[in-house]
Amino acid sequence: MAFYGVIILKAIFSQYLASIAPELKRLVAILGESYDYVSVLSTDSKGISLTISQRAKNVTTQNITTERGSVVRVYKNGLYSEYAFNSFDSAEKLAEKAKEALDSQLALLKATGSKVYDTAKLDDSPAELFVEKDAEILPEECDVGEFIRLFTELSDEGMKTIPGALDVMVRASGTHINKMFLTANRDLRQSYSYVEGLAASYAPGKDGDMKFTHVGVSGCGGMELLYGLREKITTLPGIMADLVASEKIVPGEYDIITDPTVTGLIAHEAFGHGVEMDMFVKNRALGKDYIDKRVGSDKVTMHEGARCDESVTAFAFDDEGTLAGDVTEIDHGILKTGICDALSALRLGIEPTGNGKRQSYDHKVYTRMTNTVFDSGDDKLEDMIKSIDHGYLLRGMQSGMEDPKHWGIQCIIERGYEIKDGALTGVCVSPVVMTGYVPDLLCGVTMATSDRVVEGNGACGKGYKEWVKVADGGPYLKTKARLG
Amino acid sequence: MLETLKKSLAALGADGWELTENKTRRWEFYFIRHALDQNRAADTVNYNVKVFKKLEGGLLGEINPTDTASEVEKKLSDLLSRASLVKNPEYSLVSEKITLPDKTERVDIQKIARDFIEAVASVPETETEDINSYEIFVSEITRHTLNSNGVEYTAVYPASMLEIVVNARREGHEIELYRQFNSGSCDKEKVRADVLAAMRTGRDRLAAEPTPRVENIDVVLSTEDAVSVFEYFTMNSNVQAKYRRISPFEQGKPVCDWQGGDKITVRAVRELDNSSRNFPVDAEGSVIEERDIIKDGVLCDFWGQRQFSQYLGIEKNSVISNFVFDGGSMSAEKLRSGDYIELVEFSDFQVDSMGGDVAGEIRLGYLHKDGETKIITGGSVSGSMLEAAPTMKYSRETAQYNNIVIPAVVRLKNLRITGVK
Repeated sequence: MAFYGVIILKAIFSQYLASIAPELKRLVAILGESYDYVSVLSTDSKGISLTISQRAKNVTTQNITTERGSVVRVYKNGLYSEYAFNSFDSAEKLAEKAKEALDSQLALLKATGSKVYDTAKLDDSPAELFVEKDAEILPEECDVGEFIRLFTELSDEGMKTIPGALDVMVRASGTHINKMFLTANRDLRQSYSYVEGLAASYAPGKDGDMKFTHVGVSGCGGMELLYGLREKITTLPGIMADLVASEKIVPGEYDIITDPTVTGLIAHEAFGHGVEMDMFVKNRALGKDYIDKRVGSDKVTMHEGARCDESVTAFAFDDEGTLAGDVTEIDHGILKTGICDALSALRLGIEPTGNGKRQSYDHKVYTRMTNTVFDSGDDKLEDMIKSIDHGYLLRGMQSGMEDPKHWGIQCIIERGYEIKDGALTGVCVSPVVMTGYVPDLLCGVTMATSDRVVEGNGACGKGYKEWVKVADGGPYLKTKARLG
Repeated sequence: MLETLKKSLAALGADGWELTENKTRRWEFYFIRHALDQNRAADTVNYNVKVFKKLEGGLLGEINPTDTASEVEKKLSDLLSRASLVKNPEYSLVSEKITLPDKTERVDIQKIARDFIEAVASVPETETEDINSYEIFVSEITRHTLNSNGVEYTAVYPASMLEIVVNARREGHEIELYRQFNSGSCDKEKVRADVLAAMRTGRDRLAAEPTPRVENIDVVLSTEDAVSVFEYFTMNSNVQAKYRRISPFEQGKPVCDWQGGDKITVRAVRELDNSSRNFPVDAEGSVIEERDIIKDGVLCDFWGQRQFSQYLGIEKNSVISNFVFDGGSMSAEKLRSGDYIELVEFSDFQVDSMGGDVAGEIRLGYLHKDGETKIITGGSVSGSMLEAAPTMKYSRETAQYNNIVIPAVVRLKNLRITGVK
């Protein structure tokens, strides 16, 4: 039996999950009489979400990761099937319900003549893990009144200092994640907390439009991390002044410098989605044909994995019971590997990397990102600016879209600061749409700063669904891109 | 659990409460090519409770079906004590009794799932265009809404989704097209037609050349991406957007400085054929009113949540689930005349309802210029609805995308095209 270790800190593991574990183990045993492999993932994640602005206050104990429920995965004749439920019953009754639902589905599939994508059986070698990570103030136990006061104070301060602000909204959420993964031979349990918070403001632009900006904090830990918003919000007045005065960019190709949030967006869209290996199974990703080939300059090294940073997605094991990893996806410009969930790994004949994630217990596992991060370099930001004749320093990510099949990239960036003859001119453009071909963008990287920032505000979808927490980042990068 | 909750809420001493019970039965099928990757079933129930102290905004929490009676009592008590910390202007909960009959017809998820499987299987594939993978989701949702004023309503409705990826290839080069179709149940003919249309788009994209530099050219949208253009108007007609000072719209005033464009008319409707959002009562217990939101370019009134409605002085309102836009002044054929660029495929087309910014990387378009048509790809479109809306023209013909009906073709001026050559 492998024994991975014990960390006992402050996010105490769910008593509820501990209490149902014996019955769930019986469920695994009962279903094991009918199926060749059985696992159960159970969750009990409590949290809080607060939104405070000048206009309205909203508090809820729900957010995108709060949940309580279970999903059974079974395997027979090359096919994996799942049954998700959140009402608890005896193991016998649960087994009966699961079999009835799945058998009905198989009858339909037989009637429609559907074939099965034959897949091998998952490994179930013995393993145990119990992890409780550090957190000072658990989200479900926080003093709501204190955070309402703090956020109200920040909103009031923002209204006084941010030019033209129509409102300043402070939004935060946190979840104490509890997950338990059981099979006939495995018992993995983890408890950790993550929080994210942002301060956002909007004001009329000079052309009658509306300008929006935000700053955020996030990480693995308790609600105490949200006090970091005090410092962050002090940058909003300057940013808003720039946005309100901003101009439209003249479309064209430019030398650019990306700040860590934009660097993170590129990481996420370029070789985040691009090397999710469930897409390799479907032949939906160009990356499959580029392993051990150059996709970036020597300055480009990129890591992926829950172990890469203590962020919002710093779990100990994924939703299929695979331990968290740290994969070097790109090593000095050469694409080395991708990230993989357990079933896709079986199909590709490789080891899973700990990237099998679900939106919640009642959603399917897909290969998903965790921390996607460019490595730092040894350059200085001021030297980067000095090296540019005409270009832009891009700051603040808004959104992006992947294109793993063709390596096109689209990033919508909040603002760009013009650089001419090696110096910032003070001209701000907004918004900026950056498009291009991923290898061109990454092969164009000539400089990277020595610092690094990883952020995890917001959520990532696969296509237009399956929202999960991810984090990304890196240093400032200098490259070339088409802006519009 | 529902009876336990009702009993606990009655004894709680709250000044008001709202409760929603959501039961979901869902079947899912995942295919790689036409081989079953995985099948899934879900059988869940969720209880969302909002409790109020002085009706100042309340605090929303979830009760688990596995909670014991004492756990329910403690959770509700915690919600109530925290609710007293949330200070908003007071507002009232829905009190009008619902006279509509409950909507209780069960959904045959097995039949709908079968229809989807058969519809996709019926799509003719060729050596150059075929189906890469698809995912089928079919749900029966039972939503039971209650509040402390005795309002109670149950609606059972279907919600389905087909996600499908289509490949097209030519001379060793392969591309893919991603589609996500949301609907109530399965319209087999429509599924087949939509997938075939995606295949045609794929064929054209393989023949596309890089988007050239073009200036001052009208942009035509004729696919689901056009929904974002029209949602700019529904989003800015929402009470929350207005109360939060995000929306520039004013009741009784034009929603933009119309300069020859077709003036928007959009109505709220309770149900739309095959929409996945066909429930006649919203989550707060308000019966959804069928009414004009914007008529002839002028905002009739805002729509949305009761809390923000009352802050704006609108006593009675509802959260709209289905919208119908009127068609415009010209035929689709007439709109497609002269020089224009018709964009039919993007990486992700976005219209920011807050600021009106428009952006999208072009994956496929047709440039009609000087009597010639070029198939183009790459580059981007950008601009602002503030500049495009006043002159935009749209077709008499309409098209439905799940819960919204919009003009089938819209022609926009004042957007910028960034070419790649």
